[in-house]
Amino acid sequence: MSRRQRVGIAEIRIARAPAGLVGYGLGSCLAISLYDPELRLGGFAHALLPRDESGQAGERPGKYVSSAVEALLAALVEAGAAPQRLQAKLAGGATMFPGLSSRQSVGERNVQMARQELSRLGIPLVAEDVGGSHGRTCELLLNDGKLLVRLSRGRDRIRII
Amino acid sequence: MDFGRLAERQKDILRELSNIGVGHAATALSQMVGQPVMLEVPDVAVIDLAEVPDFIGGPEQLVAGVVFRLEGEASGHLLLILSEPSADRLLQLLFADDRHAIDSDMGSSALMELGNIIASSYLSVLGGMLKLDLRPSVPFMAHDMAGAVVDQVLGELGRHGDLALVLETRFTSSDRQRDVRGHLFLLPDPGTLDVLLRAAGGDA
Repeated sequence: MSRRQRVGIAEIRIARAPAGLVGYGLGSCLAISLYDPELRLGGFAHALLPRDESGQAGERPGKYVSSAVEALLAALVEAGAAPQRLQAKLAGGATMFPGLSSRQSVGERNVQMARQELSRLGIPLVAEDVGGSHGRTCELLLNDGKLLVRLSRGRDRIRII
Repeated sequence: MDFGRLAERQKDILRELSNIGVGHAATALSQMVGQPVMLEVPDVAVIDLAEVPDFIGGPEQLVAGVVFRLEGEASGHLLLILSEPSADRLLQLLFADDRHAIDSDMGSSALMELGNIIASSYLSVLGGMLKLDLRPSVPFMAHDMAGAVVDQVLGELGRHGDLALVLETRFTSSDRQRDVRGHLFLLPDPGTLDVLLRAAGGDA
């Protein structure tokens, strides 16, 4: 079994060292990672939208930032993580096409919702690489909790946060 | 309507409409690049939103993507996706030299204009047959990972449900050195699918 596990749109996964959890090609989507450094246990959500407006969420908590943070927390606590040790990192939330949608950018709203939820749940946000107008591939390395962010090109296309 | 309940007969209607629309777009494209453009039979698929990045070639594949919002009596999006090498070759064909990169002003303007011609001719044929006013918005372009290019469109679709109806046509244009492959995707919003099917004489 590969050490690197893919997390698709609207999915949530948790894993332990030495695995890696990776979301490929995120634009406005947001990668939310939570990590317990003592157990080297962490989780990754690949959320599409800030919150459910249709009233039919439920079955897919990973689709919305608002439900994904809580679902990640619950899954990690069930696996033995201590809530007070968890550290959060965010990546993604780009605005690929400013002006395509008449509403405020879904990428920006995803980031705002995540910050709000993390603060409500008392989980410190220790690093983020968000916004802009470029795609990102994001990998949570369970060995040390680093989030590896890769852009398609540019001088600083590899970022480790 | 719910995309999950789309009948085979209704998919056939959409496939046929798309085929005629893309045929006209291909004619416009071949006039622009000065060589024949071949079409493949359109694919109509109802897939989960999360599968769309794989459907268009994989989330990390580098592409030039031109995106349009549907305007007029419809809502949804139209996407022209070109792999990076295909976009480069298309620019070589258009300019008859290789000095215009995808990211240059001239390069990106040319790709957006090309997208505009394809989108306008596709939608005007579709709209003409259905007696609907269908127009593309101004073009938006990105040169990035395919997953990132479709994310925002998936976000719009995701507000209504979990499924996407994808109408895809692959077109190729090749001489010995210059093989160009592109994909045109129509992603109607759920409400617009009803409008399309009713206008086509099928039951919504």
